[in-house]
Amino acid sequence: MVKAVVGEETRLQLAEDRLSRSSLPAEVGLLIGKLSLTLDRGFVFDLVSTPRNDAGQPACSLMETAKDDKKKGSKSKSQPADSSSLLIDKDWVAEHARQVSRMLVGGMNVVGIYVWASEISFKNSTMVLCQTIKAVAEAASMLEADPDEKLLIHICYSPRRWTCRNCTLSSNMTSSSLRPCDFKMGRVLTSLQTFKCLYNFDLRLPIYHESASTSQTLSDNLRHGISIYAIELRSAKAMIDGKLVVSDETCTTDGLHEVELLLPFTQDTYIGACSQKDIIGVLVFTGSVCSFAHLNSKEPISQAIADIKGDIIRSLRSRLDILCDEADGHLSPSDDGNREASDETLRKKPVPQLVLHSLRVHSSIETGKYAIFHFRDEFLFLG
Amino acid sequence: MKNRTIRVLCPKLLINRNESLLQWLIGSPFLPPLTIVSTIRCIHGDSSSPDYHKESEDIRTLLLKGFDVIGALVMGDSDFENKARKALDAARRLRKLLSGTEKSENEEMIGAVANSCSGGIHFFISKTEKTTNLEPVSLVVHDDNPEKYVWENGCLLRCQLPIKLPFCFPVNKPSDADNVFLRAIEVVIANFKDPKVAYIVESSSKTFADVAQPVLVCGAELSFGIDLPNVDLLAQDSEQKLLRCAHFCSKSISSPASFSAENADVLQVSILFNRSEKFLKFNSPVAEYFPAMEEARLLIVDFKLEVICYAAKDLPLIYAVSKLIIPGLVDQLNSMKEVMLPHLLTQHPKLHPYHFNPSRMMLHPVTVIYELNYGETEMKQVDIRKSLHLRLGLPFDRPLLRITNALDFSTTDSSKRNSIQTGSSLVKDVHTTIPSSSVSGGITSLVQGSYEYYHYLQDGLDDSGWGCAYRSLQTIISWFRLQHYTSIDVPSHREIQLTLVDIGDKDHSFIGSREWIGAIELSFVLDKLLGISSKVINVMSGAELPEKCRELALHFENQGTPIMIGGGVLAYTLLGVDYNEASGDCAFLILDPHYTGTDDLKKIVNGGWCGWKKAVDSKGKSFFLHDNFYNLLLPQRPNMV
Repeated sequence: MVKAVVGEETRLQLAEDRLSRSSLPAEVGLLIGKLSLTLDRGFVFDLVSTPRNDAGQPACSLMETAKDDKKKGSKSKSQPADSSSLLIDKDWVAEHARQVSRMLVGGMNVVGIYVWASEISFKNSTMVLCQTIKAVAEAASMLEADPDEKLLIHICYSPRRWTCRNCTLSSNMTSSSLRPCDFKMGRVLTSLQTFKCLYNFDLRLPIYHESASTSQTLSDNLRHGISIYAIELRSAKAMIDGKLVVSDETCTTDGLHEVELLLPFTQDTYIGACSQKDIIGVLVFTGSVCSFAHLNSKEPISQAIADIKGDIIRSLRSRLDILCDEADGHLSPSDDGNREASDETLRKKPVPQLVLHSLRVHSSIETGKYAIFHFRDEFLFLG
Repeated sequence: MKNRTIRVLCPKLLINRNESLLQWLIGSPFLPPLTIVSTIRCIHGDSSSPDYHKESEDIRTLLLKGFDVIGALVMGDSDFENKARKALDAARRLRKLLSGTEKSENEEMIGAVANSCSGGIHFFISKTEKTTNLEPVSLVVHDDNPEKYVWENGCLLRCQLPIKLPFCFPVNKPSDADNVFLRAIEVVIANFKDPKVAYIVESSSKTFADVAQPVLVCGAELSFGIDLPNVDLLAQDSEQKLLRCAHFCSKSISSPASFSAENADVLQVSILFNRSEKFLKFNSPVAEYFPAMEEARLLIVDFKLEVICYAAKDLPLIYAVSKLIIPGLVDQLNSMKEVMLPHLLTQHPKLHPYHFNPSRMMLHPVTVIYELNYGETEMKQVDIRKSLHLRLGLPFDRPLLRITNALDFSTTDSSKRNSIQTGSSLVKDVHTTIPSSSVSGGITSLVQGSYEYYHYLQDGLDDSGWGCAYRSLQTIISWFRLQHYTSIDVPSHREIQLTLVDIGDKDHSFIGSREWIGAIELSFVLDKLLGISSKVINVMSGAELPEKCRELALHFENQGTPIMIGGGVLAYTLLGVDYNEASGDCAFLILDPHYTGTDDLKKIVNGGWCGWKKAVDSKGKSFFLHDNFYNLLLPQRPNMV
């Protein structure tokens, strides 16, 4: 449980200024930061307001019950405060959280939501706020090791103050899931250390004959492969700035640190390979990703390495999502005559058209006789 | 021409005096030239025509990297120089095959001819391959402490590498599988030299106060061209400070008696792949599907490589990796590949390397790759071990190359790995200082070999009243350990109980209990933990025991193992009998596990805790109870390899 939260004062102050200049009665948005379980502290680096949804509606609005007040945007303090409560489009906020979390780097996450509202409307809306937080948590969760708590920051406009609550996620959330949490402003961004890792991956998944009968798309296979790969990656050793990481210390030097990941020799390329099985093809997912992580000076290095690894997996998954999204938009037929024979097999499996679309022209290899798969420049399953 | 000296470190240079004998002489580039560390016999072919191919295949994985062939020895009564020349030619040829190079070597090598009658050996050296003139050497030095010579400045490097090799072949043309497999292996071998490979070197012992941190040697730093003997010069010339093996070795001064392979510092090397090496081109992620052109099957071959190498402590790590570890792994991989190839599509042989330090005659360990599919007692495995015993000059009645006797590197505490040598606090061979029995005119038959005295209250365990048979079993197992029939640790009471539960003889509730065990249970444990079989003798009454004396005497003559006698509420260890067949007078040498005092030899002997007990003493009292039945456990010494 995070006991204290520090917000980056420069960014949060800017947000507060913007909110007070605006005429909004209520606003909801996401908190970007990190929750450190080792330090039992939370850090909020910035606020991102949830934009209007596709229908042009704001994500959060004030709902009046007693009086019929058409004056939208009025911050009149003479509202019958007892019955006003917030109306939040929680699915929209969750979608916002999903997209934003995809863009965040290692260690950073959507750690909760903030709400700009009056004291009374906040008090009357705890249920809907909890539900929103839950939806946001589900949407933003990318890794299994996410902490099961999120923050709720209330920026009250009169009196002007920031309060923070800690919300424990569970299947059954009530207002008692919210607990007050210490909150203060400070300088957190400047003291962050940055870790960068360039990672080259080369995943090869054999597609077995029997899995052709189940209608698993290739993207399902890849997603599964990435999950297995994540386990392999977790046990990888790391080097920081050229030195092997052996003990778990805090990083003393500032500036950008280069992280290199070391995996067991010849063990990590072939995912889910089982012996003596008939295969109908191989799925290859290769490339490089550049991943970042930021560390508070008091956190141990192992946190940075774990964050980098998490970021890599997150990147792989996002890339896969992007590739699939793109493929759904392109449905060009294959014009490669060689594939006709295997079309029959392919029809049994719905594959994203992407796959045929991105096949390149291969040059045949010298030992052509043994090439069952034409591969870019090397023998399949070797090297 | 200054006089050269040949230093012979192995205690016995001539294995036997067979006419067609050819022995390879083993030395090391880390020891001074012309130092013979050990010798191994040529078993394929004979001295006139050795089967070089088979010999090099065997020796390639048997001999640790860091040792090499420096000469050969043959038998001969005359014409010594010519015979020596033949021996040298053979040695050079084998050395070339082992190093895999065709270029002529300029190593000095030794040709030796042993006279079958006198046993004297004539030594000659040849400077290079080209010179036809041999130089006789008369100065031959033997060393007082050969182990110190080899291990004072030497250490071991160990690398374990499991490899999963997947490859596929067309279902309709299974014969193609072989070639695909071979190509796949070639790629793995080439990958060892990939600059993106990272070798992590660390000390495997955690007992030093100042353990050095692991060091990473990256593939790009390695250099493969230079020959080992020239490394020294290069290392001294180089300006950069190269990290050496000594960095990971114990800095404490060891006593001269403790130098040995078992006590050597072991450097652990792990192999990883750096996935963050900067590519020249940044490839954005791409997913591609490659459908099979024809029906294909995926096959995975599992290799468990494990090499150990001998290195000088001041060898720089980059050469340790490039000249010792990598060639060792490559040779092992190739050797396993040959065994796998015929069985690629059927059941894969389960190959596992083991390292042995078989006897005091070999100063260094050897590596053997065993096929474990059908167990150790399978005929083929027995034959393999017999030929190894022949090659290494080991006796044929000791199972020195059984897996239980393999070197165990998993214990990070090197002193634990070797408790026999460094000695424990237990008293050994208590019976040697006791007064003789009072049987006159009897023939004494005693246990052969050393044992340790186990008794009540040792190891902080209060087993008085119930642990006597357990202690007797511990004494027996210590005998098997000291005779090198096994290298497992002497089990604790709990481990003995666990074994009996494991085999189904006892219920789970037996563990942690104070239940007694008897001869039968001991025989089960000896069988399970050591593979030893035993004979059991039952007598209905203690009065019958003297009748068994002849049988017991024969046991001590032939087997020489300690015996456990259990009867009534007591168990003893029997170490010998003194038997006068004519008079029937007999005495039993009893080692009593009920002793609760300290491990002080004098106290033990003076208290009679080890002594001759007559069946009926001078006062007419019987040592063995007449109204009890007794079971005797006679462990059988395995007389095989």
